Amino acid sequence: MFSKQRSWLSGALWKPKNPHSLEHLKYLHNLLAKNQTVTEQNRSQLVETLRSISEILIWGDQNDSSVFDFFLEKNMLSHFLRYLQQRCGRYICVQLLQTLNILFENIRNETSLYYLLSNNHINSIIVHKFDFSDEEVMAYYISFLKTLSLKLNRHTIHFFYNEKQPRKDGLGALKTLSEPSREPEKHTNDFALYTEAIKFFNHSEAMVRIAVRTITLNVFRVDDKAMLRYIRDRTAAPYFSNLVWFIGNHILDLELCVRHDMDHRSRDRLSDLVAEHLDHLYYLNDILTIGLDTLNLVLINHLLNNLFIPLYVYSLTKRKKVADAQDDRKHVSSVVSLFLLSQVFLIMHHTQLVHQLAEVIFHGDITLTQTEGLQNSPKAGIREFRAPAEPLEKTLENNRPKRRYGQTTVGQDEGAVGGAEEGAAYDPGEGVSSPSTEGALSPSSEVCSGDTELSSPTQNSTDEEKLIGMSHRMAIPSGMPDRLQPFTLENRPYLETLFTALECTENDYSALFALCLLYAMGQNEGISQNLMDGVLMPTERSRNKENYNILLVERLIRIIEQACQSGSKVRLATLELSIKLLKQLVNKDDRSYLQDRHLACIENGRECSTQRLRNFYKSEEIFLDMFEDEHREMKNRPLNVEYLMQDASILLPPTGTPLTGIDFIKRLPCGEVERARKAIRVFFLVRELSISLLHETETQLPLTKEENCIKVNDVLDLNNSDLIACTVVTRESRRQERRFLVIDPVQLILVEPDAKRLGWGVVRFVGFLQDVEVSGDKDDSRLLHVVVHKPSSTMHARSMPILSARFVFDDHIRCMAAKQRLIKGRHRARQQKMQTIERLLDITQVEGAHPRGSIPGRSHPVHPASSASTSASSSVTSSPGTTAQPQGQGQGRGARRVTAEQKRHLQAKAAQRSKTRQGMVARSSPSPARDGVEIGEEATSAMAVQSLSQNANGSNSSSGCRPGGAVRAQKGGPAGIRGVQSAEGRLEIPLEDLSTRGKQLRSLSFERARLSRLAREVGSLGNQGHQQASQHGLVARSHSLSPRRTSQETSTLMSRKDPRRQSAPISIPSSSSPSAHRPHHTSKYALTPGGLPQEGRRPHSRSNPVPPPGSSSDDSPEGGRTRSWSGPTPKSLQPAATPPASLLDGTVSTPPVLVAAMLVPPERTTIVRRTSQEEEEEDEEEDETEEESSRSTMRGQADDKSTDSALSSDEAGPCSSSDVTPSSETSLSDMSPAPEPRAPPVSATKESRSASKQLTALAQLVQEHYPYDAAEEAAHADANH
Amino acid sequence: MSYAYLFKYIIIGDTGVGKSCLLLQFTDKRFQPVHDLTIGVEFGARMITIDGKQIKLQIWDTAGQESFRSITRSYYRGAAGALLVYDITRRDTFNHLTTWLEDARQHSNSNMVIMLIGNKSDLEARREVKKEEGEAFAREHGLIFMETSAKTAANVEEAFINTAKEIYQKIQDGVFDINNEANGIKIGPQHSPANQNMPSGGGGGNQGGNCC
Repeated sequence: MFSKQRSWLSGALWKPKNPHSLEHLKYLHNLLAKNQTVTEQNRSQLVETLRSISEILIWGDQNDSSVFDFFLEKNMLSHFLRYLQQRCGRYICVQLLQTLNILFENIRNETSLYYLLSNNHINSIIVHKFDFSDEEVMAYYISFLKTLSLKLNRHTIHFFYNEKQPRKDGLGALKTLSEPSREPEKHTNDFALYTEAIKFFNHSEAMVRIAVRTITLNVFRVDDKAMLRYIRDRTAAPYFSNLVWFIGNHILDLELCVRHDMDHRSRDRLSDLVAEHLDHLYYLNDILTIGLDTLNLVLINHLLNNLFIPLYVYSLTKRKKVADAQDDRKHVSSVVSLFLLSQVFLIMHHTQLVHQLAEVIFHGDITLTQTEGLQNSPKAGIREFRAPAEPLEKTLENNRPKRRYGQTTVGQDEGAVGGAEEGAAYDPGEGVSSPSTEGALSPSSEVCSGDTELSSPTQNSTDEEKLIGMSHRMAIPSGMPDRLQPFTLENRPYLETLFTALECTENDYSALFALCLLYAMGQNEGISQNLMDGVLMPTERSRNKENYNILLVERLIRIIEQACQSGSKVRLATLELSIKLLKQLVNKDDRSYLQDRHLACIENGRECSTQRLRNFYKSEEIFLDMFEDEHREMKNRPLNVEYLMQDASILLPPTGTPLTGIDFIKRLPCGEVERARKAIRVFFLVRELSISLLHETETQLPLTKEENCIKVNDVLDLNNSDLIACTVVTRESRRQERRFLVIDPVQLILVEPDAKRLGWGVVRFVGFLQDVEVSGDKDDSRLLHVVVHKPSSTMHARSMPILSARFVFDDHIRCMAAKQRLIKGRHRARQQKMQTIERLLDITQVEGAHPRGSIPGRSHPVHPASSASTSASSSVTSSPGTTAQPQGQGQGRGARRVTAEQKRHLQAKAAQRSKTRQGMVARSSPSPARDGVEIGEEATSAMAVQSLSQNANGSNSSSGCRPGGAVRAQKGGPAGIRGVQSAEGRLEIPLEDLSTRGKQLRSLSFERARLSRLAREVGSLGNQGHQQASQHGLVARSHSLSPRRTSQETSTLMSRKDPRRQSAPISIPSSSSPSAHRPHHTSKYALTPGGLPQEGRRPHSRSNPVPPPGSSSDDSPEGGRTRSWSGPTPKSLQPAATPPASLLDGTVSTPPVLVAAMLVPPERTTIVRRTSQEEEEEDEEEDETEEESSRSTMRGQADDKSTDSALSSDEAGPCSSSDVTPSSETSLSDMSPAPEPRAPPVSATKESRSASKQLTALAQLVQEHYPYDAAEEAAHADANH
Repeated sequence: MSYAYLFKYIIIGDTGVGKSCLLLQFTDKRFQPVHDLTIGVEFGARMITIDGKQIKLQIWDTAGQESFRSITRSYYRGAAGALLVYDITRRDTFNHLTTWLEDARQHSNSNMVIMLIGNKSDLEARREVKKEEGEAFAREHGLIFMETSAKTAANVEEAFINTAKEIYQKIQDGVFDINNEANGIKIGPQHSPANQNMPSGGGGGNQGGNCC
């Protein structure tokens, strides 16, 4: 490569042979000296010379110090500078920059570095105006600066910062005034490396911007006072204000992108913008964490007043529609601002910044925004997102002369900072006359410091003092008074927006972000607990969490409840985040501070999710695999909020289609399988939440307990075990091993005899039987092909079988035996797990006919818990089960239930009440119009379903919303329509009511709870009324699910063919008077042992359990049906012979428990006991005669009515429960301030006793008149109000 | 000067594995590898030809910026290709690959092409990581693999060019959105290559003594 050169050189000088030597450098220096001017002819030669110089210098640095001495002695850098100043084009420039790059990058010798930097040539090169439009020059230049910045430390930084300035000053000032821009090379008192770099902070090339950020961070990292002072005084304000403006504009782009991309078309662009915003936040956070307080103050001030507050926070209150019109101030939609703020709180942890920002969000009041509009208000100037008065480069240029002149004292400096913060303070013409500028700036800085707590440092207080002052100012107004007075959203427009966003009836688009924001704020260590307490948001740092924000928790619960319903618009991510946030709010160490009524709601949600999953339950193999896979997935990949908020795809409206490539948890399910998966996941999540709130340990999940499994190298006692000898030939390695095959209930085990103990074996391989695939060999009857699949197969990685081998047995009989046992073992292992799932889901066993006995064909008895827990859980939703419930608790989930007893009861009562009401409605509506009005029934049932699953509405529809609704309900047809209406109407429940209610409820909860309990007892005392009634209602409801049913024949047929219509046969003999017959059906239904057990299994064997024609309208009846089943199941499913016994068990064993846990007033205990006994008797009666049961049903209804009306008369209060979160309704409505004279909210305690007496009397009264017409009953009930 | 595409690369890996030397070795052939001289550089550019198209490679070394999260993040995102380098004579640099890869996958766009490079293949005597291990790692994580030596320049050319080919192929397949510069790909200026035969600064391998 030197050939050409040599030919050129031939006439010039002798060129040394060794390119790495001092001689060569001397020769090159000679060349440079001879070619001081760049021409077309010598250009290439010069380029090569410069390149060679770098090579020799590095070689010299590493090998021969004399090389460097020569370089410095000859001041060769001045040659470099001279070439640059000749504007010789990019070739020389690029080569020079590369040479310098290499020099600074590779020099190891510290002194060499000092020499290189010492004579200010480098600074001159830095400020040289290269042709930055050339992308290669730009890239090399910025790399050069970056390389230099990496060399910065406390010693080297002085070479970059020219300190000669004061001496020159007088002269320089005059010069500057006359010709300020003429001497860029004289940049005295300049920190060129930094100021030149930051001019490119918004360069179009991403790599350049990154380099700039690197340079600034490298500079900030050097702990040098002079540097810091310079940067803060001279560049901080302009740089940060421009940076903030730049970031803000990015946000506006992002907003545009979101607003115009409903179809997910420009996801790439969007994700870039999001990533860019994240980059900025991380960058700002990196600056803040370096911890330069004075610099941070300036930065925070700019961030808050020019970006976060005016652009992000103020936008919170902007609705999308309004956004386009009117307001010309810059803003983004509230969804975007929620998203951005979440990111801010997730990434930034600097106390001052996040604390102030949080304060504005929590306590900021709308007047801030309004005064903002007035331009003359001093605040208007501060908190506004607007462009800096001039571009950064210009400011910096202007700064330079001023700097010389300014003779800066510290005080003046700070004035300048304050002024600069104002953003607008720099007027374009100011550069020349700096004194006037500074004069003008100082006062304005005072203005802003006086005006807002978010001000810049004032002259007289140190930063620390300021900090303290700030936190004081915040703590006093926020924390203290709020603790005394109840929390409201009044005058908290931003927080209110947040809370409103949590509503996800339509979708959970903004709810996800609001959750994330609240969660991030709770997790953010920069926000003091004091401030969080101001809005009743306890965090990990709180000592206890008694004072949590009811309003917020109720919204969270509502989201959870919604997620538990079919057709819900709540994505899994939203659910998981709600759960996270809820735990953050109420869980502390080993304790949950969640109030009982809220816990009851969660428990209810858990039941809902269980029931919903039941719909999807299939006895197919894939269900088990899905079930286990989802559990693994949930455990292995818990939601990472930070990662979630980095995903731009959630910024677009939620969608269902997987074609977008959006993760499953971040979108709605698509298709039946995904719906099933979602149901499974919801079940897990809510179950996990419930368990953690109750502080129990999960005992049933995962289905496979690793710790119970046999592991490789375990030594087993195999005496008396079935062992089959075989030779295992693995497929891949072809290795042959003699093993003994042992088949455990769940595992396939290969053992080797233990050398030490006779009859023992050492485990060499284990695999789960459920994952075993076995097939015979056509040619060799002694041979089996065995594949054991890996259980934890994720969707991403290919699942390799953990064993793939041939098993060669001694003879074909052993082979057959092994095969059979493997296949059976697999089947059994899976079946066993399916049973566990069934137990988890409270699904009645197929063998329901003998629910307590051992199941024929099963190797081990069915756990009694399965039936018991069924009754337990279902009793929660079904009203009369209260007495039976403890029984189930005792047996089935004993451990759990006992602790939760109290809550359970609350809930049970709640469910009971709503059911009772539904029972009435459901029964009454079809009665008159029985034959014709299918629609009516349908609708009613839909309503009943709604009310069941979201009991608030249910009760509303029958009561609250329409006073006297019960009466109208009896008119049949209208009732149906009404049902539909109310079902729809539920969506419009105004959330605002919640707040007031929440408050009232809190105080009343206990008394009310007691009252309602009394009422329930009275009701059950009279008879099994509730149960009957609810069963009744259920029948009517399920009834309506088979709209095609017209006659007994069809329904019977259908019941055989289609067990999903199970309920149909019950209502068969319907030709005669409906009112007389309905109870009749009920009892018959309860007595049908053959039909019901089918319900347990057959529906699930259908491939498509939930036929979904229209998502919600169809889904909800579906949910309703299952719900209805869960109620009566435990009792009604019992074959005629068994129930008394089972019930007896319960009654005998449980009431004490119940009493203890429930805190039932002592005098009531006896009643409870009696009730249960009576109920039991009733049950027997029921079994004996249909008439009897029908009668009892009627009585039950009567009781219900009386109870209802007498108690809190939800029916009477139009507003009583209209606004409560669905499942919290019942418990809440018990305590709702109904305008009912007998149970006024305040005096509830006092009156409870008398009320109970009255109730008893009433119940008796009603009992006597049980054959009342339903209409009369209702009228009677109404009259009571 | 003119090019059809510009690809931005980053080089990642532990310190001392020879990243900047690889970079210099590839971008500037004028620096002959010499036994007693180690030169590296943090940035380099070079023109290559793929499929008859001029493609400019811009390679950014990310060394020294590890302490700032914002910087690491940004670099990954702005690159179309990444060379993940380890030193075959130091087992620990190989062991850290997983961490590097996780980082890269987390922050980069999903289409980024990552090439695994076992550097210093000239030091066969001191080898600690077998070639098979590198191959296995690459196979497992879906990377392209190559052993190189910045000293002897063995495979250096291939490493960069193969990566470029992969990116180019992705562009042809429409995987990369070339209109989005944040991907680390830029479409060249459309103006006619008037000064095409001019040396492209320090970046050009053809720079040596083009015209005299």
